[in-house]
Amino acid sequence: MDRRAFIKLTAITGTSATLASCGHPEHQLIRFVPDEELVPGIAEWKPSVCPACAAGCGLNVRVMEADVDVTRNGERGVMKKGVAKKLEGHPLHPISQGGLCPRGQAAIQITYHPDRLTQPVKRRGARGSGDFEPVSWDEAIAALVGRLDALASAGDQKSLAFVTRRRDSRRADLVGLFLARYGAPPPIAFELFDDDVLRRANALSFGRDQLPTFDLGRARYVIAFGADFLGTWNSPVAQSRAYHEMRQGRGGARGKLVQVESRMSQTGANADEWVPIRPGTEGVLALGLAHVILSEKLIPAPSGPAGALIDGWSAGLPAYSPEEVERQTGIKAAMVTRLARELAERRPSLAIIGGAPLAQTNGLFQAVAVNALNALLGSVGQPGGVLFSPQLTMFGDAPPARGGFARFASGILSASTSPVQLLLIDDVNPVFATPRASRVRDALDKVPFVVSFASFVDETSARADLILPDHSFLESWVDARPESGAPITVASVAPPAMKPLHDTRSMPDVLLDVAKRLQKPLNPPLPWATFDAMLAEWFAKLPASAAGDAWGTAQKQAGWWGKVLEPKTAGPPPARTITQSAAQFDGDATQFPFHFLPYPSAAFLDGSLAHLPWLQELPDPVTSAMWSSWVEINPRTAERLQIAQGDLVEVRSAHGSLRAPAVVSPGIAPDVVAMPVGQGHETFTRYASGRGANPVAILAPVAEAATDTLAWAATRVTMSRAGDGRGELILFAGEMREHPHGHER
Amino acid sequence: MHRWGMAVDLDSCTGCGACVTACHAENNIPTVGPDQAARGRAMHWLRVERYWEGEFPDVRLKFRPVMCQHCDAAPCEPVCPTYASHHTEEGLNAQIYNRCIGTRYCANACPYNVRFFDFFNPIWEKPLDVQLNPDVSVREVGVMEKCTFCIQRINAAEIQAKADKQALKDGDVTTACAQACPAKAIVFGDLNDPASEVSRLSRSPRGRKLLDDLGTLPKVTYLERQSEA
Repeated sequence: MDRRAFIKLTAITGTSATLASCGHPEHQLIRFVPDEELVPGIAEWKPSVCPACAAGCGLNVRVMEADVDVTRNGERGVMKKGVAKKLEGHPLHPISQGGLCPRGQAAIQITYHPDRLTQPVKRRGARGSGDFEPVSWDEAIAALVGRLDALASAGDQKSLAFVTRRRDSRRADLVGLFLARYGAPPPIAFELFDDDVLRRANALSFGRDQLPTFDLGRARYVIAFGADFLGTWNSPVAQSRAYHEMRQGRGGARGKLVQVESRMSQTGANADEWVPIRPGTEGVLALGLAHVILSEKLIPAPSGPAGALIDGWSAGLPAYSPEEVERQTGIKAAMVTRLARELAERRPSLAIIGGAPLAQTNGLFQAVAVNALNALLGSVGQPGGVLFSPQLTMFGDAPPARGGFARFASGILSASTSPVQLLLIDDVNPVFATPRASRVRDALDKVPFVVSFASFVDETSARADLILPDHSFLESWVDARPESGAPITVASVAPPAMKPLHDTRSMPDVLLDVAKRLQKPLNPPLPWATFDAMLAEWFAKLPASAAGDAWGTAQKQAGWWGKVLEPKTAGPPPARTITQSAAQFDGDATQFPFHFLPYPSAAFLDGSLAHLPWLQELPDPVTSAMWSSWVEINPRTAERLQIAQGDLVEVRSAHGSLRAPAVVSPGIAPDVVAMPVGQGHETFTRYASGRGANPVAILAPVAEAATDTLAWAATRVTMSRAGDGRGELILFAGEMREHPHGHER
Repeated sequence: MHRWGMAVDLDSCTGCGACVTACHAENNIPTVGPDQAARGRAMHWLRVERYWEGEFPDVRLKFRPVMCQHCDAAPCEPVCPTYASHHTEEGLNAQIYNRCIGTRYCANACPYNVRFFDFFNPIWEKPLDVQLNPDVSVREVGVMEKCTFCIQRINAAEIQAKADKQALKDGDVTTACAQACPAKAIVFGDLNDPASEVSRLSRSPRGRKLLDDLGTLPKVTYLERQSEA
């Protein structure tokens, strides 16, 4: 008997004596023997990877010993465990560079959330009722295997579908491989704030089906079209680091930022010049700037494919004179000329497009226009310009996820029997994050069996028949291959930072386990026993560095990074020129006079982080609102409609209406109303359920014409005062001490 | 002897709020929930203030992270009847929770609104409490709490330096807000070391003290935002 076993035995005999004598079993303090050894009070630092967005920031996790309530073999007790205490950016990691955003800081609360699913459950009540009963892992996995076997024996493997986020990772590869070898179609990527339009544009302009990285640190002039790159878009931490370099990091050579958008974002607040523009005309301004540069011969015109895509480029874009641009965009001709001259004179300069301008029906045109401007400025692939991080495509072995979720859902709705018999859902909540008019809820309910890997009951997992809760990111092997954020190639990876708190299992390991139990094995079978073996094999292929072999080093510093030589590509395929198309808006302009602009909230992004109390109580950067939904309205509009700060406002589109309190904000155009996405959950833990309103619900189900992604900025609405606010608007600023009840009018 | 101070470069600060969440995580600051938050009882030892200037379309929004300014002539200290609010040898405005009897005189006296009163016992619904930092005491009802410049990190680094028989170097200690800041806008360090980053920044011609005319002698220097156009 070793020391550990001896202590275990004495601990058990000791506690069972106490057990017998105690009337309240819930008050008993059973001390289990810890299964790892940490010195009390001394912190260890372990790497991890942030799950909050696609940026893939490397983390440094502070791990210390703590008392944790645990259940072992049906007995409740207390155990000393090594647990995560705080997340920091990993100082060596090229994306986070030691920093972290508020969402990354709060991600630790995912692990310790009181409403986390602690074990597998199966549906007992009606779909959506949230009535589940616990099942064992054996039973749960058997249920999933049974469904897969039934499809395989009927030769109906094609009716298996898997919906997940669009994140490049080994985890995603495993899903792709599982589906391909089972005989099912590739996974379907679902993102509300999808950047597929920009990827498609970059493929056309530059031959890169990828999001760009911006070398802000060396840029002297930046013009951003709608992109909240310091707050919520692309790789915010890496971009904020680079922004610091641009502003104050290089002794006197301060770069200038111009932000073009119709509602002031957090990034817009930091701009030297904030230029409001008519929604959907950003591409026209980009070509207007190019017109001035070409006609004044400020820069010789390059003959690259990015410009050649644009109708009228070789003739100097005659259709985009400053006066014509003023007519379309609402920006004064003199300003167009001045901005163009500044862009040309203060090189390296670069243009960024992201967010709402891409979410118009003409999103692709807008993105291609900005790409052409970048090509003209000579910023593509140059220091201080737009870069594309080299990707590790040569090690790809799995079909990537494809877009087209809207088509997928409407395919289920229109068929008499659902073409999808078994649906697996991981890490997405499409019932919440799609317009109500697209009836994703009904589509889901037509699928005979739905399995979710969610850690929480939300609007989508509440409709599942079986939930197999994943470990939290701190409890499992995690990886990410960020497509942007660093000029070099990055593959983030980390082992578990702590042991699981609950009876959960990592989704990749569950898939590998399921694959082994299938009656008809995958063809060919997946060769890995566990997910970490799959990671080890892949990372071992990467070039070793001075610090040691690729896999060993990567595990210690939250990732592998370095320079890789990509296989030569032929450049973009010749494409037809793209003519300007005006943005189309859903809803008649007389009946629905306002553009409706939902935007990713600084705290919750697409709503997937609304369950974290730190983020609920984090004051919004622009409004200081906490625990609230709100509608941002220009003061003149508010005055005309007799709406005061905090009043309840009804916003109505052709597809539905919602009510939320008003924030009267000077940073928004009079014909635009904006609303943050994230609140308005029907069911998403005690902190988010029934709080505020969901702007996505009332959007028109219109798509960007070329890519079929949701054009979430293309809905028109009308608005009216619906009554006094009843304290729904909770602000931190201005009313915190002096007027504690100032919001109650 | 150290003299701890901070510099905040408003030209780098993007207003993202990473510092606010980092401060909650480091210092066991509870969330109070929507009802108490609506009564002005949300506790943010560090907040990002916003200032609107102008009207649409010529409108500007500026951010300023505000934490305890750790004044050398702190108005909060002489008003405390129990010496709970006091000045340490290293220049921090410290709060001794065990001495505090909750008169709230200090919060009345503070011109920066950075002191927060515990109206209730804090609640962390299990297992959120597992995240609590064991180096920081949890405050109970009736106590005033505030930014400490992460004194637990300062103490730990000083003890470690003493054990290693080494002097603290610039960068050995940093606060949670400064560490998290993605834009490197917040810098913490020793103002007695003229070569430290914080000393260098505090001498900047852009440097300002918050409500300087009150004569509180803050140890936080704000480097004003620059602007073109």
